[in-house]
Amino acid sequence: MFTFLVKRLFQALIVMFVISLVAFAIQDNLGDPLRELVGQSVSEEERQVLRDELGLNDPYMTKYTRFVSNAVQGDLGTSYFFKKPAAEVILNKLQATLELVFGAALIIVFVSIPLGVFSAIHPKSAWTKVIMALSSFGISVPVFLTAIMLMYVFSIELNWLPSYGRGDTVNILGWETGFLTKDGLLHLILPSISLASIMLPLFIRLVRSEMLEALSSEYVKFATAKGLAMNKIYYQHALKNTMLPVLTVGGVQIGTMVAYTILTETVFQWPGTGFLFLEAINRVDTPLITAYVIFVGLIFVVTNTIVDLLYGVVNPTVNITGKGA
Amino acid sequence: MSLLEVKNLRIEYPSRHGVHAAVKSLSFTIERGEIVGVVGESGAGKSTVGNAIIDLLSPPGVIASGEVFLEGEKVSGLSPQEMRKVRGSKIGFIFQDPMTSLNPLFTIERQLTETILANLDVTPEEALSRALTLMEQVGIPEPHLRIKQYPHQFSGGMRQRVVIAIALSGEPDLIIADEPTTALDVSIQDQILKLIRDLCIKKNVGCMLVTHDMGVVSNVTDKVAVMYRGDLVEFGATQQVLGTPEHDYTRSLISAVPRSDIKLDRFPLVSYIEEAHEMEQLDIKTHWLGQSEDQRIYTGPLLNVENVSLRFITKDSFFESRREFVQASNNVSFQIQEGETFGLVGESGSGKSTIARVIAGLYPPDEGKVTFEGVDLTALKSEKERRPMRRQMQMVFQNPYTSMNPRMKIFDIIAEPIRFHKLAESEAQIRQIVHDLLDHVGLGRMAGVKYPHEFSGGQRQRISIARALATRPRLLICDEPTSALDVSVQAQILNLLKDLQDELNLTMLFISHDLPVIRQVCDRIGVMKQGQLLEISPTEQLFTNPQHEYSKHLVSLMPEFKGLRNDLESA
Amino acid sequence: MKFYKTKLAAALLAAGLSFTSSAADITVAYDADPVSLDPHEQLSEGTMQMSHMLFDPLVRLTKEFDFEARLAEKWQRIDDTTFRFNLRKGVKFHSGNTMTADDVVWTFNRLKVSGDFKAIFAPYEKMVKVDDYTVEIKSTEPYPLVLQTATYIFPMDSKFYGGQIDGKDKAAIVKHGNSFASTNVSGTGPFIVTSREQGIKVVFERFDDYWDTKSPGNVDKLTLVPIKENATRVAALLSGDVDMIHPVAPNDQKRVKTTKDIELTTLSGTRIITFQMNQNSNPALKDVRVRQAIVHAINNKGIVKKIMKGFATTAGQQGPAGYSGYDEALVPRYDLKKAKQLMKEAGYEKGFKLSMMAPNNRYVNDAKIAQAASAMLSKIGIKVDLKTLPKAQYWPEFDVCAADMMMIGWHSDTEDSANFSEFLTMTRNKETGKGAYNCGYYANPEVDKLVNEANSETDIAKRSASLQKVEQILYKEAAFVPLHWQNLAWGSKSNLQITPIVNAQNFPYFGDLVVK
Repeated sequence: MFTFLVKRLFQALIVMFVISLVAFAIQDNLGDPLRELVGQSVSEEERQVLRDELGLNDPYMTKYTRFVSNAVQGDLGTSYFFKKPAAEVILNKLQATLELVFGAALIIVFVSIPLGVFSAIHPKSAWTKVIMALSSFGISVPVFLTAIMLMYVFSIELNWLPSYGRGDTVNILGWETGFLTKDGLLHLILPSISLASIMLPLFIRLVRSEMLEALSSEYVKFATAKGLAMNKIYYQHALKNTMLPVLTVGGVQIGTMVAYTILTETVFQWPGTGFLFLEAINRVDTPLITAYVIFVGLIFVVTNTIVDLLYGVVNPTVNITGKGA
Repeated sequence: MSLLEVKNLRIEYPSRHGVHAAVKSLSFTIERGEIVGVVGESGAGKSTVGNAIIDLLSPPGVIASGEVFLEGEKVSGLSPQEMRKVRGSKIGFIFQDPMTSLNPLFTIERQLTETILANLDVTPEEALSRALTLMEQVGIPEPHLRIKQYPHQFSGGMRQRVVIAIALSGEPDLIIADEPTTALDVSIQDQILKLIRDLCIKKNVGCMLVTHDMGVVSNVTDKVAVMYRGDLVEFGATQQVLGTPEHDYTRSLISAVPRSDIKLDRFPLVSYIEEAHEMEQLDIKTHWLGQSEDQRIYTGPLLNVENVSLRFITKDSFFESRREFVQASNNVSFQIQEGETFGLVGESGSGKSTIARVIAGLYPPDEGKVTFEGVDLTALKSEKERRPMRRQMQMVFQNPYTSMNPRMKIFDIIAEPIRFHKLAESEAQIRQIVHDLLDHVGLGRMAGVKYPHEFSGGQRQRISIARALATRPRLLICDEPTSALDVSVQAQILNLLKDLQDELNLTMLFISHDLPVIRQVCDRIGVMKQGQLLEISPTEQLFTNPQHEYSKHLVSLMPEFKGLRNDLESA
Repeated sequence: MKFYKTKLAAALLAAGLSFTSSAADITVAYDADPVSLDPHEQLSEGTMQMSHMLFDPLVRLTKEFDFEARLAEKWQRIDDTTFRFNLRKGVKFHSGNTMTADDVVWTFNRLKVSGDFKAIFAPYEKMVKVDDYTVEIKSTEPYPLVLQTATYIFPMDSKFYGGQIDGKDKAAIVKHGNSFASTNVSGTGPFIVTSREQGIKVVFERFDDYWDTKSPGNVDKLTLVPIKENATRVAALLSGDVDMIHPVAPNDQKRVKTTKDIELTTLSGTRIITFQMNQNSNPALKDVRVRQAIVHAINNKGIVKKIMKGFATTAGQQGPAGYSGYDEALVPRYDLKKAKQLMKEAGYEKGFKLSMMAPNNRYVNDAKIAQAASAMLSKIGIKVDLKTLPKAQYWPEFDVCAADMMMIGWHSDTEDSANFSEFLTMTRNKETGKGAYNCGYYANPEVDKLVNEANSETDIAKRSASLQKVEQILYKEAAFVPLHWQNLAWGSKSNLQITPIVNAQNFPYFGDLVVK
């Protein structure tokens, strides 16, 4: 267990190192950060002075070495726009993103599992055909369109739900949460649905195919031959085995949803990291961009690790410590 | 009144191409305390019968007509709810593969007690104590500890015991065992069969034992029903059916079973065989197959395996001391003379396939070397150097389907090695060679335009033999070539191999877990266990006078098939 | 001037009295929020909008580009280089301090060192305190635009911003990194900031001791939220989540207009959108006939109608109507036939190739306009190699004038015609900084002379004549391709009376906003 975690930590460091190299290599192509910092009448000479002050005129290796030596001390640079350490800005916005992802994950779990299981148990039902048709359709609708449609129907036409932002939050032990206020929850609904819509069709299909596989397995046949009630076979024997691959694929996917929040957050003006990142690109806030990209790399490794740990807990045949590198 | 009575049972599989009757008008009975074997080859419909009795036919199979009675009560055509009450509590079921019939995510305790609770009116505490008793009865040591474990913590044999315990846990009157020992090693097989037999007698339950293995039938069953293509061809006391079979099919089936007691030159000709053409005779002297430049005289052993060791890492670690290994091959040495058939026998995991792969160059050994006609194969560096050696050694695998590209036609599959090694001068010559090969292995040249999936298991094995021959090899490595095949097909394939060997002066390494088969095929035999080669003996000596303790054990466990002794010649 | 001011105040007061019922709490959505609370850190629309809420200028512009007294009660020119302001008495800062001439001088001095603002105050030598409520501003040369620049003087609380914190000057202007002034504020404006989450919202509340007790404004609490996405911003307004938005994208205006209880307010703006024709990189553009042909070939009226959906004013010159150099005779001149004729005369009957660059997220529909323009140019045989870039990548290209035609929009910080020429059409000069954005490399000594003269001409009429002359020359010589002035559009709930408070500079005077 310990070796496993150490190994993963090592892996995370390598991932982040490689990402930082790439992020640094591309950041000169993102544009000139100065334009977003000064007014139009400031002369080129003065802009050069500012560039020197910010160290933007240094050669790549100098910049990168400086970045790495700061980074090992926990300093990922200071955002030009927020004027705060980039890591702090990201951590601050992360709460909103995690709540959004959590909301979307809840929707995915509570929609995809029942629908996937239903369509696997009743493959010939008309409902199954409807579910599968909708999920094929859902895969092809871009999230931007989903979000705008939801907003149009539920905010503008019906006026049931708020159109943007996060609403009221309360501070619980330093965590700003929107889950504990009615306003916060209402604000969460549309963004969560549109974020969930990206993966929902995929999850329904995943659950369905895994459930179908479980249902055609020998142990289900044997469980039937044992005289168990069908409900017990479906919802205990088959479902638990279905959830194993769903957990591995799904867990990683839900983790990567942190990175998929960019569009949803932008449309709903959700104050999270995805929106932050897009804005940072528009503003050429290079320290923030670099920090974000590195951070996303970390998220990937962390979710993978958590999924592996969970998998080990749920699946008795896997022993984490015994897994090869 | 019989315990089970099956009357005129007909099972159909409707499809777009019409209705296929898997079982046509079947009738038989089973009494309490009696074991009835249902025997037949694949496609005979024997498993379908078992599934139909408990209404577990895989779709779209249906019982078209006929009835099934259990203690006089009709159990066919019951509603799903009523059928559920029959399953488990009246009829227990044992599946073929214990590796897959237990849910990997639930403890043995849960899988046992849920069955007891579903079928008997007992408290959870009582269910647990019954579960423990059952585990003891099926011979699982330390049931208190093991009941808390998961299936993967049990060996195959132990798992099958668990399956049996579960099948018995609802106190059924009838047990249907569908190939209960096919997936198990021979030593385990024997124990499980004994267990089933003992329990049936002790608990006075009837048992329907579905199997393809004549040895099992003769050892365990009281009565036997022989099925052929959905028909019951013969039903009667085991002694009688096996000793004096009335039906031609039964006779040919029995004659195809490899004799464990005596080595025959060839299997007696089988009359009920799948569509195979007569083997076309070739004049090897003048034919391409006999004109390899490799046909030279070499006096030493053709293949020399010297002190080969190989281990696989099972648990990797940064620190070498913490890595864990399995020693797949431990200092193995043997030689094969030109024209000889050398057998390697052992249970699963004994390392016999690993040796085959080392010889074929698929795994480099950790230590030791393999020389072929005096050339050290392990010292060859480049692919270019290895290529002529590869050409002279060909492999035939257990499951030929996985080694064929499903999108290639048979013609191209066989022509591929000829083209690769540039063994023919023209495309016309290749066509001629491939057609000859197809004729020669009994498929007929028309087979060339088909795809692999259009063939049965036995036919595919013929294809893979034809492909192996296409490089004009001198050494043929056969790794369990007939394990997946029915006995009658097995007999044909073994005959084919034997004929080819005689014609082409082939040298063979023949790997099998099946002692009777080994006995029929090999000149000398090596016995392997846990990566070690324990004994090398000439075939007859191994069976009559085994040296090593383990060899003695293996030979003693060999299912003794005693039937038809007198009729063999007449068949 | 004074007469006008009183009239306006009376009208506002009357309106206020008749409609004001209770204090209002509104939410306003912009496309961005101010980067800093420091009014001198960055010269941008966002900063100016914020300054008008938290501070007050000495004078401010009305809708008609007249000057309205704010913290300066009266003003008068003493001589060609001296201008006096009499300050309002009894004005309190948010901190409770009283505003005096010291604060104004302190603010002026801080503007002089601010990277972004010092260009505006370059003509001045200094500001001196005459007495506690009188200051004089002295320019090095005669300077006509004192009142225009005075709209940028938002007196800051010198006591509040004076001294040090954590060893750093509280007043320090820091572009990158945190400073006291960027997160703390004490002005004289109608609002104070009660909470600020950058990029999420800024909450303003009415300042109790606001000096302008005659203001009809009744907004008690104003929450400013940035909503980047056009569609979301409109949705927020239509769903009632916010009370007022800006900008409203051309495509959404019809919808906003036709929705019940929602109003669309538009004003013609002052930001000119142009193409510059680079005479340095493409020799063909040196020929005045070719430049004229291009100007005649681009149907800017059509662009306004089709692409801007009428949400812009077609331009034929740099400065909009109401600016000193505006000449109404300089009309747009789309004429394809003439354009072809001009090309023929110039010897480019068969056309030529040129490169064009435009941003794709800076101006309204910028990329679409560039695509339309390149299609129009193809009709006179000019093959355009168009590249559109995000603004962040566009500006570095613009800095080196990377294409033969480049799009540039310009808003005059002084709300005066001369500013356009100074940056866009005067001869490039590194030392004086003139023509810094002149990627056309247009150079005409007469234009330079006329603009320089105008900048030291205090006689308004004479000055206007010079600047009009400049526009005429630029028009005749086709120095650039004028497209249009972008209009401004706000969407609001009907109970917000926003017409009196919005203006062409886009600095809504929220302090005076009346909510019914």
